[in-house]
Order: sequence, then structure tokens, then C-alpha cells
Amino acid sequence: MSDLNITGVEGTVAIKPPPETPKLPPREWLKENLFSNKFNTLLTLFSTAILLMISRGLLSFIFNPERQWGSTATNLRLMMTQAYPEEQYMRVWVSVAVIFTLVGASMAIWNAGSRVTLRRLGSFLLSSGVVINILTLLAPFSGQAKLIWLIIGSAVAGAGGTLLRVSDKDKNISSLTLVVATLTAAILSLWIVPFGHHSFVFERTPRSMAETGTVALTTKLPWTIMVVIGILAYFFGKTMTSRFPSKNLRPTIIGIWFLTPPTLLYLVLRDPDFDMGHVLNTDIPIFLIFAIAGGILLSWLTRPTTGEIGRVCAALVLLAGFGMFFTPMRMIIRILMLLLATFALAAPTFAGDSKKQRRYVLAWIGVSGIITWLVTAVNTPSTIEVPGDFFLGGVSLTLLVAIFTIVISFPIGILLALARTSKMPIFRILSTWFIEFVRGIPLITILIFFSIMVPLFLPKGMELSEVSAIVIGYSLFSAAYLAENVRGGLQSVTRGQHEAAEAVGMTTSQKTFFIVLPQALRVSIPPLVGHCIGVFKETSLLAIIGLFDILYIARNVIPNQTEFLGSTRENLLFVSLIYFFFAYQMSKASQRLERRVGLGER
Amino acid sequence: MNEIENTETSASTRDLSNAPDMIVCEGVSKWYGDFQALDDVSATIKEQEVVVVLGPSGSGKSTWIRCINRLEHHQEGRIEVDGIELTNDLRNIEKVRSEVGMVFQQFNLFPHLKVLDNVTLAPIWVRKKPKAEAEEQAAALLERVGIPEQADKYPGQLSGGQQQRVAIARALAMEPRIMLFDEPTSALDPEMIKEVLDVMKELALSGMTMMVVTHEVGFAKEVADRIIFMDDGQIVETGTPEVFFSNPTEDRTKLFLSQIL
Amino acid sequence: MSDTPTSTSAKVLSARPPLWRDAVVLKWVTQLFLLFIVLTSLWFLTSQAGDNLEARDIPSDFNFIERPVDIQLSEGIDTHPDSGGRALWVGMVNTIRISIVGIIFATILGIIVGLARLSNNWLVNRLGTMWVETLRNIPLLVQIIFYFSVLTVLPRVTLESGPINGWFHISNKGISMPRVFLADGFYQWLVVVLIGAVVGYYVHRHRTRIHNETGTITSPTLWALAVITLFAIVGIFIHPIFSWVGSIFGALASLFDSLPVLVPQIVLSGVALVGAAMWVRKFIRKHRSARGHLSLVDDDWFRIIFTAAVSIILVFVFISWSGLSSWILNSGRDLFEVIESKFNVDGAARPFDAMRPEIIQKGKFPNYGPSGLTMSVSFAAVFFGVVFYTSAFIGENVRGGILAVPKGQIEAASAVGLRRSQALRHIILPQAFRVILPPTGNQYLNLTKNTSLAIAVGYSDIVQVGTTVFNQTGKTLPVVGIWMLFYLSCSLTISVIVNWFNVRMQLVER
Ligand SMILES: Nc1ncnc2c1ncn2[C@@H]1O[C@H](COP(=O)(O)OP(=O)(O)OP(=O)(O)O)[C@@H](O)[C@H]1O
Ligand SMILES: [Mg+2]
Repeated sequence: MSDLNITGVEGTVAIKPPPETPKLPPREWLKENLFSNKFNTLLTLFSTAILLMISRGLLSFIFNPERQWGSTATNLRLMMTQAYPEEQYMRVWVSVAVIFTLVGASMAIWNAGSRVTLRRLGSFLLSSGVVINILTLLAPFSGQAKLIWLIIGSAVAGAGGTLLRVSDKDKNISSLTLVVATLTAAILSLWIVPFGHHSFVFERTPRSMAETGTVALTTKLPWTIMVVIGILAYFFGKTMTSRFPSKNLRPTIIGIWFLTPPTLLYLVLRDPDFDMGHVLNTDIPIFLIFAIAGGILLSWLTRPTTGEIGRVCAALVLLAGFGMFFTPMRMIIRILMLLLATFALAAPTFAGDSKKQRRYVLAWIGVSGIITWLVTAVNTPSTIEVPGDFFLGGVSLTLLVAIFTIVISFPIGILLALARTSKMPIFRILSTWFIEFVRGIPLITILIFFSIMVPLFLPKGMELSEVSAIVIGYSLFSAAYLAENVRGGLQSVTRGQHEAAEAVGMTTSQKTFFIVLPQALRVSIPPLVGHCIGVFKETSLLAIIGLFDILYIARNVIPNQTEFLGSTRENLLFVSLIYFFFAYQMSKASQRLERRVGLGER
Repeated sequence: MNEIENTETSASTRDLSNAPDMIVCEGVSKWYGDFQALDDVSATIKEQEVVVVLGPSGSGKSTWIRCINRLEHHQEGRIEVDGIELTNDLRNIEKVRSEVGMVFQQFNLFPHLKVLDNVTLAPIWVRKKPKAEAEEQAAALLERVGIPEQADKYPGQLSGGQQQRVAIARALAMEPRIMLFDEPTSALDPEMIKEVLDVMKELALSGMTMMVVTHEVGFAKEVADRIIFMDDGQIVETGTPEVFFSNPTEDRTKLFLSQIL
Repeated sequence: MSDTPTSTSAKVLSARPPLWRDAVVLKWVTQLFLLFIVLTSLWFLTSQAGDNLEARDIPSDFNFIERPVDIQLSEGIDTHPDSGGRALWVGMVNTIRISIVGIIFATILGIIVGLARLSNNWLVNRLGTMWVETLRNIPLLVQIIFYFSVLTVLPRVTLESGPINGWFHISNKGISMPRVFLADGFYQWLVVVLIGAVVGYYVHRHRTRIHNETGTITSPTLWALAVITLFAIVGIFIHPIFSWVGSIFGALASLFDSLPVLVPQIVLSGVALVGAAMWVRKFIRKHRSARGHLSLVDDDWFRIIFTAAVSIILVFVFISWSGLSSWILNSGRDLFEVIESKFNVDGAARPFDAMRPEIIQKGKFPNYGPSGLTMSVSFAAVFFGVVFYTSAFIGENVRGGILAVPKGQIEAASAVGLRRSQALRHIILPQAFRVILPPTGNQYLNLTKNTSLAIAVGYSDIVQVGTTVFNQTGKTLPVVGIWMLFYLSCSLTISVIVNWFNVRMQLVER
């Protein structure tokens, strides 16, 4: 972070700051930008009026004495995790800490952040101060509050003005420092400012009682620790980058990121009640058998000399795995069999010398181990006792559904896109029909269908919780859209690339895996990020089918608490704020990413 | 140009009549929809022979050369490469692809891979070579085409001539017995053409069997054992460079030569 | 193909490779294998569902469409539908209504937002950006529910609830304003206007020809419009003379009533078979070279076989599912009968009428009467939600489209001496429109699908009505099927319209 370098995908490119346009003096700036002609003046007056009306309305809504902001503050925990038991809250904090650690380390490893000139910071502060003052004048404050806010606003503006005047042109500061400073300030304010004492007693959904208590007091210590952990993780990441080449480090971190959600959910938050006897008698032996037998099969299949018989064998494994769904069989065996078939089919693509063989077998053992563990964890009952269906709700449920949907829909979407652009007409037809069908109907019908109908489609003895059913339905929906984004990328790979890959003798799958997909996915990063934002936003539809996501809580739970009857709008505004925060940050990040990738190319 | 004409080691003085056949095309025809791009093309190319294919634009040169490593499928006739017939047999296609290297007009380097990885990718995954060995070989090849210092760059950071030489190295890394070149220099600036042609010349002298589509007459005169002239999807005339350029028999050839010379 | 002496032996591709190495064989085996897996899975799932439904004693049939249901809808063409089918129909009309109105307003607002984002005026520009960023990043559902909760705390409706008493009312019951509506004479008047349109078309052609021949400015469009307007005005007075048109539709209705079920079956099957045959013929002709050589690769064969198979399956469906044919006959008859009844009015009817909103008090609380154009609170919440939300996206499309016009175009326009407004009209907008249209068509599709969120605020759209219906009857699967069919047809309609514009513009380009 020492200089202006940006590490793009394709090496390091130094960017020069653009030449600064000379600043106009305020009067001329106003003339040029607001009052250049009659029409413009009219527009300016008109939009000033609108702006004033909106801010006045908003402020008088927010600071109306009738507003029950206490309902939001008191129910913060309900909104974050719904009914998660208080005694077990350590688990939530551990999960948050893991995520903070990963975020910190990743920021260091990917060299996040940019430089912000002090002047820009100064003008930002100056304008914020001015805006605060204007809003204060508009707001229906009492005399004292008004005075305090005016002082705060002037202080901010003054600080900005001083910065603007004092600092010279290219003094700058890392944006990460700013973020950390803001976070620290927020944490400090938790310690200093006497925020209201709120807490709540959870009884039964949807009627919960609220009682004044101490949310701010119980959370300020954990949050302080989280921020410290994040900062420490950043420095840890820095030392890692200096130790290991980023070529190895980055894939490792990405792998950890992928493993984190299921681990947190099934190991930490859900606290599965493993039946050790069963695990030792059944799960581990099954895994060992598959790991060894599969390992032997795969090491044979990845020998360069195996030839067509290998392909026939892989097809047979696939057939067997598929047939197992029609015979009574443990789910874990069915899944492992299908996984083994996938590995077997892909084996010729990655065949090679003994080193490659060993790596492939190791990959098989690792993946099958993770899958075995996941399936076991999913099938193990939780020790967390909550009223209602699912042990998480609120923001956690929203994030959970969004993350799992995105992760599951990614491979499906890529496969659909490949099928839609493939040379095989039946693949193309099936994929096109599926995609167009799903894209033609609204998400809510799919969610309703899956939440009601999935139990009907399952064979006897198989069960699926409502949340899982919905995640599956949502993933299929998301995959169809994702496939269209990826298809755009696939089509941008030129014919010459395909031909060059074929001319050096690659098989179709090698060509796809080594040449086409890496290029296509890179092109489709911006639309894919947009898609992820969409998935995140549309998790709000869970509220319609009655899952306790944050919207449902804000609309149907809190306003029914006896203390906070009818406090819908306050809480909806808060929910909007949460969604806005995440979505806006993601879209800004994707724009930065786009610019970065764009710079990396030549 | 003068320099070229004065060289003594002209490949066309070699006697190849006893060499084994490398590429055999018999009555090859190909249609795109209802448009016939190749019309009964028959030719035999011997081992170590360097054949230059000439012809006006749209005459089917690319189509023919691409049929030979099955980037396109011919519909009639037979093509045999080093004794392997090109059919739908996967094993044959696999073998032919690894015997035949191809260099494209637009280079078609893989932009997301570094130069070294461009060269080693196919040996590692198609030829199943150990990585270290493949990298050693790649370094040697980059040395041979004259750009050992560019191994760690991305294709987008190279000049056109350098890119085309990487493409040649990439094809050579598969240790092919035949190299196909489809207008390898026509997307290049004049000063870069020479560096690529030099590499090709060196390759020809080392005994590689080559089939080259090009408009570089100097190269054809100096290096080619034989010139094949195509028009309208047919082979119109075949001959050694001396005869072809000085004494063409067909009117179409004369017309073509009068336009390019 | 003429034989050449050099290669008499080489006309045929030589011996086939063994099956497991043949690229073509493998290609098709793989595909058929996947098809097999997909079909088996589908079959397995549906048979499971069938068994499970049977075990729970809920047969999945469509009987509820004709059976009476006990549903009261908040609004629509019929608030007490007498059958499940009728209820769903009301829901569909409501969905279509809000989608069309939404599309119109979202387009207008979107264009304004897009232009604001391009404005030189700093404040306007900022406002546009705020609008876009705020609305794009908050889920639509949250917005709809928020508008709903704001609207429901508005004051009660009373006679003085204003803002313009007797003309325009806003209250917790919704928004009510004067209404212009189609009165009984409308359809007769429409006949007059249609005649006017035909005449206008010929006038347009005639004037264009004069222009082309003599070069004088003849303003054909203006003339055509004038003709149509003339007819429309005259039609207001003379339309009763067209009441006989209804009897044509009456005759059509009785024709449909008298046809046996076999007729539509035969017609449909014939269309399928002949269509497929013609397609195959055209396909083969296209693949035959001038010298008569036919080159078909495996994919071509697949296409031919697939077309034939589809047409045969269609014929099979048409013949075995006689319900479809009788449905066509019945609904054709009903349609024409309805049209006939529209013409069946006495001579004095006006084509249009207008009414002011009124407030009536039937029970305990006052409410809006039926005379005004009333936007219920649920409708308003969904409407504002989808319009605002979509306007942000359309605004971005508009901005992107206009920015996509290369700067050189504007420079070239001013170089040839066009004024700014002329450049906008003739150079920038036509090119920008081409870029804007496809993503905006997508937004129209999204808007239509997004109206399904109405269920959250109780607007009786198809999803809300459908949920009520299957909660009462237990027929979830059929209702979901109807939903999907309905939305698929909506999506298809919109994409066909958008594509039609797209193609037209591309033709203009050449
Ligand atoms: N994929 C294709 N589909 C349809 N027609 C094609 C296709 N590829 C080539 N053709 C046609 O086949 C003919 C021969 O093309 P080819 O590329 O072989 O010519 P060429 O001799 O290489 O010309 P040039 O010197 O311009 O590269 C041309 O008329 C071309 O239009
Ligand atoms: Mg060519």
C-alpha cells in the first residue's frame, strides 16, 4: 500500500492521477452549473424546491415525537438473528469474528483500498458539514438540539475547510485508514455516548414482548473485539503476502471463503448433535470406502494410457450413481456415487504424469470428505432450540439464503450456459427451454411452488426443511439468469480461441476448462456482481411466504408487540437502510473492480 | 529480396521423390450450406517438403488447410495425414492434431495466460508431460524463435511479430511432424514480417514438413519445394517455384501473377 | 459431381471407426443419455407427486375452474366471482391492467430520470443520481410495503377530504379522480374510426406518391391524421348507423356453435403437418447446392427428425385432447357473442362519457362510489413501487443509450449544419433508441413479473387470487400451472412486440 500501484489481473500497472481541472471560483461555478440560462435557472429553482420538500418531509418524519425508534433499537437482535437463544450468543460472535478475520486478511492479500487525497477528504467533510447544517435548520428540532447539531455541522465543515486549505496538492491517505478510523470512531461512540438501554425478552413468535434493558451495553465489547480482530487479521494478511507467493495464497483464501458459510452454519451456529457411534460405524467407513476405491479408480483413469475404456467405465459409474436414486440407499452413498462419476468423467481432462494423478486423487479425497461431512452435518439434528421452523432469522437468514443461493446457482448456471452454447442440439434445446421458462415467470411463483409443493415431490422417508426447499428453488431461478450472464461472456470468446485450442489437440472439455471459461468468466464479472446484488435484494421475498426474514420481522412481528403497536414505518425505513447499505456497497465495489480489471488489460 | 534470391541453400533443389507421403488428399470436396468451398482437391505432400499455397481471396486456401487438421470436416474424398485417415474416429483426430501444428493469421494466443503457459499448456495436458520438462522445452523453443526474455509477459504486452513467434513456439511445443501456416504474416507490419519469416525459414531448413498459405512471394521463391495455386476451390496449377513464377501454364495463374508481382 | 480421373476410388469416406471412438456416435449417445436422465427424473418426480397427492386425497384436476368458490376480491372487473376460473380471470385482468399502466408511466418517468442524469444542471443531475441510486438499491418489495404503510395512515375519506373536493381525493382508501370511460356507443364509433384509418392509409399513400413524383411537400402524415380525426368527429354523430355490424359477429358465433369438434382438430393437425413439411422442404432446398449436391451433417438430420417428431406429437395431442378443440370452439363462440352484444345498443348511446368521483356512505364508514377513477391503496402501492423502481433502471438505459452515440456523430451533425434540436431528432435519438430498446424491453418484462409482489399488499392480481383459490380448493398444482402459462404468455407477448420494433429498426439501419 505504499504507492499508487494497482495490481490488476495481468500484472502491475501504475496509474497516474488525472490532471486536476482548475477549480472555478464559487460564483462562476454556480453560474455555469446552475444558472447558465433561463431554462436552467427554472430547473434549478424547481429542483431546489423538490429537494427542500423531500428533506423537510423526511426530517419531520424521522424526528416526529410520535416515532417509536425505540422499537428498532430494542429489537435489533430480533432483526439480526431472530430467535437465536441468548445463552448461545457466543456462537454468533465467533461467526462474526471468523468473517472479520477473513475480510481483514483478504483485504491485505488483494491489496484493497486506494489513496484518497487530503483535499478530496477536506471537500467531502466541508460539504457534509454544510449539508448537516442545512438539514438542521430544516428539521423540527427544539432549540437546544438544534444548537448542538449546528455546532457539530460547523465543526465538521471547519475541519474540512482547514484540511482543504492546509494540505498541499498531492498529500494523500489510504482509504483503508479512513475506514478503520470511522469504525474506531463508531466503536468509541458506543463506549462514550449513553445510547438507550434496550433489550427484549423473546417469548413466542410472532408475539414477542419488549422490555427496556441493555442492547448497547451487551454488544459494545464484542464489536470492539471484532474491529480489533479485523485490524489484526489485516496485518496478519500482510505478513502472509510477504511470506508466500500470491499465486498460492489467493486460491487458498478463496477456498476458505467457500468453505466458511457451511462451516459457520453447520458447525458453529447450528451446533449439530453428532451421534458419535453412528458417525464411527457408518459415515466414516462409507467415506473411507469411497475415498480408497474412488482413489484407485481415479488414479487408473488419470493415467495417460487408459484410453476409451476409461470413458466407458466413467459412464458406467454415472449410470450406477443415477440408478441408486431408484433403489433404497443412504443419501450419502447416492451423492458420493454421483460425485465420483463426475470426477471419473472429468479424469481424462486432467490426466497426466504421476504428480498430476496424485493431485487429482487428493482432490477427490478432499472434496468427498467435505461433502460427507456436510451431508452428515445437515442430517444431524441441531442442539439449538428455538420456537418455529428454523433456528436463524432476520438479517442472518437473508445473508444465509443469499450466499447459499449464489454458491449453488454458480455451477448450475455455468453448466446451463455451456449447454446453451454447445454444439449438441439436445443439450441446447433443454437448456434453452429451461432458461427461458424460468426467466418468463416471477420469482414469487417459484418460491410459493417450492415452499408448498416440494414435500410432495419427494420419495417417502425423505425430508427437506422449508428453507432448504426454498434455497433450491431460488438457486434454480438464479441459475437461469446467471447462465445468461455467463453466456454473454462465452460468446465474447472469439472463434480463433476455440480453433487454436483445438489445433493444439485439446479435447472439448480441456478447451472449455483451460481456455474458454477463464476468459468468459472474466468478461462476465460485472454482470455477475449485479446478479448477486439482485439475489441479495430479492431475498426479501421470503417475507411473502412467511419466513422470518428481516422484512417479515419489521412488518409483521415488531408492529404487533404491545409496546410498539403500529411501528411499521420506522422499522421498514431501517430495513431499507440495511438493504441499501449492502447493495450500494456491493455495486460500488463492482464498479471499482470493473475499473481495475479494465486497467489490467492492454 | 535480393539477398533471398542469392542464397544457395534453396530448399527447392532437394530431391524428395523417394520420401514417404506425409499428407495425402484425394478428391476432397467441402460445402458450406449450398456453397462449394473445395472442389475435388487432390494433392500429395512428401516428408520434409515445403509447399506454398497461393490463390486469390476466397479461393478456399484456408478451408483446405483447416480440413487437414480437422478444424473443418470435409464431406467427400479422403485425407490421410502420416498414414492416419481423418474420419470421425476420435483416436485418429487426437493423433493427427498432435502430429500437426497450426499457426493462424490472427495469432490466437490465449490472452489470459502468460507466454510460457501458452506454450506449456498443451504439452502438459494433452501430451501429459511433467510440468518441469514442459517448461524446459518451452524455454528452449522461445530461445529458438528468438524471444526468451518474454516468457513472463502476457500476450497482450507483445508486439505482433513477437506474438506470432510465440504462436509458432506453441505449435512446435507439441513436437509436430507437420506445420500448417495460414497467412502467418498478413496481420503484421512490414518490419515484423521478416522476423517471423526468418523463424519459418529456419524451420524449413531443419527438415519440417510445411504447408504455408502466404502472399510472400520472396518466401515462396526461396523456401518452397512446390507451389500450389488454387482458385474457386480447385487446384489450378502445381509446380516448382522456378517454373511456376517464370512459366505458368494456366491463364488464371498468369492473371493472378500479373496482379501480385 | 463429375468424376475426375485421378481419384476414382476416393468418393466415399472409408470404413467407419468402432462405435466407442466415433465422434458422431459419442456425441449422440451422450445427448440421448442426458435426455434419458432428464426424462426419467421428471417422470419419477411427477409420479411421486401423483402418489403423494393421491395419498392426501387431493386430486390435481381443473374442476375448480367451473365450480363455485367463496372468494371476495378487493377490486377488479368482478369482486364476487362465481367460479374459480372467473376469479383467476379477474386476477389476470388486474395484473395486465397494472402492468400496462405501469409500463407507460415507468417509461415516461424513466426518460425524465435519464435526461436528468445527463443534465448540465448540477442540482438536477444530482437529484437524478440520488433517485437512481436510492431506488435501485432498495428491494422493490420493501418499497411497495413502505408505500403501502404510508398510504394506509392517510386520513379517512370524508366529503371534505380534498385536496380538491369533488374532483380529486386522497385518503386511506386510495386516490379517486374524474374518469373518462367507453360508453355503449363506443364499438360502433370504433367501426367509423377504422374506416377512417383505411381511408387515411390510402390518402397517405397518395400524398406520398405525389411527393415522390413532383417533389412538392405534401405532408402525408398530417393529411392521414386529419382524415382520421375527421372520421372520428363525424363518427360521434353518425355511429348508430353501424349497429348492424353486430349481426356479422352473431353469425360467426352461431357458426362456431354449430361446428363439430372434429373441425378444429383437423385444422390444427393440418397446420402442424403442413407447416412441418414445408419447413423440411425449405430446409433441404437451402442445403442443396446449385449442382444438386445435398450435404446434411448429423445436426441437420436431427433438426429434420425433431421437426417431424414435434409435428406428429402435436397432431397426437390435438386428436386425443378433444377438450382443447371444444375450448377453442366455445371461447370463439363466447367472444363473438360478447362482441355482438356490444353492438346491441339503442341509437342514442354516446361513444364516451365522463364522471366525477363521489363519496358515498353505505354502512358505517364513507367510501368512494363507483363513478370516479379510483386507485385503491394496494394498487397505488404496487403502482408507485414498480413505476419508481423501473424508472430508475429505464433511466440508466436511456442515459447509457444516449452516451453510446459516438461523439463524432454529434460533431458530424453540426458540421453539416444541423441545429441542436435537429441533430437530436434526426441523428442522436434514432441511434440511441436502438441501444435503449432491448434492455428497456427487458425492464418491461421485469415490471410485469414484479407486479406479482402485489400479493404482499393484497392487490388482487393473479398470484394473490391464485393463492386464495388453492387455499380454498387445495388445487395447488393446477393453479401454479395456470400462473406459469399466464406469465409465459405475457413475457412472450412483450418480447414479440419489442422484437418487432427491434427488427424494424435494424431494417431502417440498412
Ligand atoms: N464458415 C463458413 N461458412 C460459409 N462460408 C464460408 C465459411 N468459411 C469460408 N467460407 C467461404 O468459403 C470460401 C473459401 O474461404 P477461405 O477462407 O478458404 O478462402 P481463402 O482462400 O482462405 O481466402 P483469403 O485469402 O481471403 O483468406 C469463401 O468464399 C468463403 O466465403
Ligand atoms: Mg484465408
